[in-house]
Amino acid sequence: MDREIVERVAHIAHLDLTEEELERYSKDLSEILEYFQMLDIAPESEEFGFDPVEVADVLRDDIPDMEIPADALLSQMKTYNDFVRGPRIS
Amino acid sequence: MTSEISLKDLKELDSRYNIFTSMTAEESVDAEFVFSAKDNLTSKDFETRAGSRILEGYTPGFDATPIRRMRDAGGFLAGKTNMDEFGFGTFSANSAYGIPRNPFDTNRSCGGSSGGAACAAAILENHVALGVSTGGSISCPASFCGVFGITPTYGRVSRYGLIDYGNSLDKVGILSAKAADLTKYLPIISGKDHRDPTSCVQPDMRRSLRRIRSVAVPKEAIDGISEDVMKSFESALELLRSMSIDVEYVGMPSLKYSIPAYYVIATSEASTNLARYCGMRYGQQEGDLTLKFDDYFSSIRSKYFGDEAKRRILLGTFTRMVGYADRYYNKALQVRQVIIAEYKGIFKTHDAVLTPTMPFVSPRFDDISKMSALQSYKADFLTVPPNISGTPHLSVPCGYSEGMPVGMQFITDHWNEDLLLSMATEWENAFDIRHPEVKL
Amino acid sequence: MFCSCPTTGADAPNTHVCPTCLGMPGSRPSLNGKALELGLTIAKMLKCEIPKTTWFSRKTYFYPDLCKHFQITQYDTPIGEKGVYHLGKKPIRITRVHLEEDPGKIKRVGDGSSLVDYNRSGVPLVEIVTEPDISSPAEARQFLSELLTEIRYTIDLPEDGERSVRCDCNISVGTERCEVKNVTGLKNVERCLTFEAVRQTKLLKAGRTIERETRHFDEERKVTMPARKKEYEADYGYIGEPDLGIFHIARIAENIKLRESPLNMASRFQSEYGLDERTAKQIVTTSMKLAELFEELIKVSDVQTAKTWITGNISAYWKGFEPSDEEKKDLISMISDFHTGRITDTECNIRIRSLMTGEGQKEMTDSAADLDRLIDAFIDENPSVVADYRKNDRAANRIIGSVMKQTGGRYSSADIVDATRRLMDARSQRSDA
Repeated sequence: MDREIVERVAHIAHLDLTEEELERYSKDLSEILEYFQMLDIAPESEEFGFDPVEVADVLRDDIPDMEIPADALLSQMKTYNDFVRGPRIS
Repeated sequence: MTSEISLKDLKELDSRYNIFTSMTAEESVDAEFVFSAKDNLTSKDFETRAGSRILEGYTPGFDATPIRRMRDAGGFLAGKTNMDEFGFGTFSANSAYGIPRNPFDTNRSCGGSSGGAACAAAILENHVALGVSTGGSISCPASFCGVFGITPTYGRVSRYGLIDYGNSLDKVGILSAKAADLTKYLPIISGKDHRDPTSCVQPDMRRSLRRIRSVAVPKEAIDGISEDVMKSFESALELLRSMSIDVEYVGMPSLKYSIPAYYVIATSEASTNLARYCGMRYGQQEGDLTLKFDDYFSSIRSKYFGDEAKRRILLGTFTRMVGYADRYYNKALQVRQVIIAEYKGIFKTHDAVLTPTMPFVSPRFDDISKMSALQSYKADFLTVPPNISGTPHLSVPCGYSEGMPVGMQFITDHWNEDLLLSMATEWENAFDIRHPEVKL
Repeated sequence: MFCSCPTTGADAPNTHVCPTCLGMPGSRPSLNGKALELGLTIAKMLKCEIPKTTWFSRKTYFYPDLCKHFQITQYDTPIGEKGVYHLGKKPIRITRVHLEEDPGKIKRVGDGSSLVDYNRSGVPLVEIVTEPDISSPAEARQFLSELLTEIRYTIDLPEDGERSVRCDCNISVGTERCEVKNVTGLKNVERCLTFEAVRQTKLLKAGRTIERETRHFDEERKVTMPARKKEYEADYGYIGEPDLGIFHIARIAENIKLRESPLNMASRFQSEYGLDERTAKQIVTTSMKLAELFEELIKVSDVQTAKTWITGNISAYWKGFEPSDEEKKDLISMISDFHTGRITDTECNIRIRSLMTGEGQKEMTDSAADLDRLIDAFIDENPSVVADYRKNDRAANRIIGSVMKQTGGRYSSADIVDATRRLMDARSQRSDA
C-alpha cells in the first residue's frame, strides 16, 4: 500500500495526515493488507446478504410522528435564526 | 421490588480502576437494581462519547433502547463505562479518557473494547453491565476480568441508540459476575423494536432453557494459544465431560479467514459510520466556520480522532474504493456466508462450539504498547468467528494462571441463547470462580 | 424516507427533524413502506423490469447538507430498469428508476459560512434516468410536463407546482456531453438546455472541442457555469446498507394496479364516446376524478347528458371541491333523476350547485324563482321578444342584458343566460301550441 494511495485515501476520508502519520500508516496498512491477501484464495459463496441473519421486508407505516421535540435536538447545535451553522461552501 | 442501594464506593473504585467516563453523583438510590452501560449507548442523563474526544459534549436527546428497557424494569443507570474509541480495540487502551485497569492486576488490561463494563461487573457488588460486541468486545474483557459475558444473536437486541462501529456486526449484551443476571436481564433488553429494523426478524426467545449436551472444539482454535490457556482449557474440558457433556474435536477450515473478512467488513462499515463526525451538530463544534467545508471537516477530524480510529478509517475507506471493493469488501461478504454455513454444519450434530476465549491471559500495558496493529487484530482470532457469523456466544471463567483469569467461549446457533443461559448457571455451580480482591 | 418526520407543513427551519434525519450518533433508519410502494408504482408505470429483490446502499461524500455524510440510495439494485415512456408516438427509454433520501438545504451567508435547514433531510425521492432519446430542449420540457402529469395522477400526488422537480440535464451537440446539475423546474430545464445547445454549438463552430464536464445553472442570469473543479475526488465507496436489509419486491409490484393515465383516458374518450380532442383533454386535465365521474354519469344517463353536465356546471364548480365518495353518489343520482325526468334541469342545477358550493338549496330555489319572475316580467312587458327569439335566439341577449343591469351582479351571468334560454324556449313552444 504505497504512500500515494494512502494520501489519496486520507484525502477522500477527510483526514489531514502529518508526515510521520503518513509513514506510519503506510507501513501498518501494507502489513495488514498483505495479511488480508488470503481473502483472494478464500472460498466463495452463492449466498448473499449484508447481515449475518436474514433481515428482509421490514417496513414502516407512512404515519407522520415525532417522538422527540425538534428544539431539544437543536439545543446543542450552533444555530442562527433557527438555521444550523456550517462552514463555508465556496 | 425496590430497595435502597448504596453507591458510595463508586467514586473511589472508579478513580482506582478508570471504570467510568461519566457516573452518578448519588451516594445511594432507591431502585430494583443498579446497572451501567457502555459509553457507546446513548443516554439522556450522561454525556455519551464512545471513548472519543470528537464526541465531547454530546448529550443525546434519547436513551438507547436497551437502556430504556433496563430503566423501565426498575434499573438505575449508575454510569457509562469506559471503552476503546468507537469500539476499536482489544485492550481498551484506545480510550481518550484513561485506560481501565484489571482488578486482578492493575498493571494489566481489562480487555476491550467493553473494558470498563467488565471491570464494573467484576468489582461492583450486585452490578450488571451492558456491553457491546463487534468482534469480541464482550467476550474478551469478560475473559480477562474473570466474569460472565453473553453476546446474543445479531438482531436479538435493538441497536437503536448504539453509536455504530459495524452495523452488521454490533450486538448489545450483558456482563456480570453472576450467571443469574444473564438469565434475568437478557430477556429485558431483547425483543423487537420498530426503531431498529434488524431487531424485527427475531423469533421469540425460548422461555424454557434447554441444556448443552455436546460441544465441538475446532482444532484451528487451539492452534496458537499460550500454554497456560491451553492447560486451563483442557481442565475445563475434563470438567465438562464429568458433567455428562460430550466433547469432540472437529475441523473448521474456514475459521482462518475470519480475521481478514471481519476486519474488512467492520472497517468498511466503520469508515462510513464515522464520516458524520465533522465538527457540526454534536460533539466538538468549535472550529473556524470561515474555512471551506472540506478543510473544516478535515481539521476537526484530524485533531479529535485517535490513532486507531484514523487507521481503521483509512483501511475501511480503501477496502470499499472503486477498483478494490470487489477484492476486499464484496469478497469478505461472501466469506462471512461461508463461515456461517460451516457453523450451521457443526450445529447439526453438536449443541455448541467451544473454544478458549482469548489466546492468552490479559497482557501488561507495556507489552500492549509494543504490539503492532496487525498483532492486536490477530489476538481476536477466537472471538471474531462467532461475531462475524452473528451467532450467540458466552464467555465463562474456566481457569486461572498466575492469578489471572482464563476464559472459554460457548457458541450456539442463531437464536439459541437459552442453551447459553442454562450453561452459564450449570458452569457456575460446577466451577470454582474466583473474585478479585478489592480493598477499599 | 427513513424516519417519520412530516414532509410538509413546516413553519420554520429545522422543525421537522429527528435523530434519524439529523444523523445523530445512535440513530437508525427504517424504510417507509408507502415510499417503496409508490416508487414501484412509478417503475411499473414506466414499464420497467423490476428485480425480485432490492436493497439500499450508502453513497459516502462530505457536505454540510448531508447529515450522515453518506446518502442512503440505491446503487446496484434500482427498483426498475429498462423501461419506456411514450411521448406521443415517440418512445423515450428509461434507464432506471430508484429511491433515495434527500439531503437538507443550504443557504450561503455573507461572511462565507453556511446556514442549513434539515427539514428536507430524509424526504423520499424517486430518481428517473432516461437514455439520451430526447431531441430538443422544448421536447425535454414537454416530456417532463407530460410525465409529471401522469406520475401525479398515478400516485395521487397533489398539485405542487413544478418546483418539486429537480433535474440533472445532460446534453451533447457533438460527441461529448456536459451535465448541468440540480436544475429546478421545467422552465429552467428548457432554458438551461437551450443555453447549453447554443454554447456547445458555438464552441464547435469555432473549431474547439467539447470536454465532458459538470456545470450548474444560474437561474438569475439564465446561463450555465462550470462547476468548481473538484479538488476533492469523490470516491463514493458504495457499500450495502445493513440496517435496512433486503426487500422482496416482485410480489409487491405484482399486486400494484395501475390507474389509467390521463392521456390514455383522453384518447379513449375520443374513440369510445366521440368527444372532440379539446373537450376530452380538458376533462382529464381538470381532474381525473372528474373524468371518472363522467363515465359513471354515462352509465346512468347517456353520453350527451353526461357531457353537458360535466362540461357545464360540474366543471364550473369543480375547483376547490373534490367530491367525497358520498358526494359523488349524490351527484350521480341527481343526474339520474334528471335523465329519468323526476326533476327538472333547474332543480338539478340547484341541487348540484348547492352540493358543490355549500349554498342552501332553499335560498337558491327562492333566488332562482326570483330570477325567473324577473325574466317573466320582462318578457311580459316586451312580448315581441318571443317572436324575435324564434327567428334568432340572439334576441335573448336583450333580456339578459336588462336583467343583469337590473339585478346588479346578484346573479351570475351563466345563471341568467341559462334561465333566460329556458324560459324563452318554453314560451316559444307554448306560443306554437
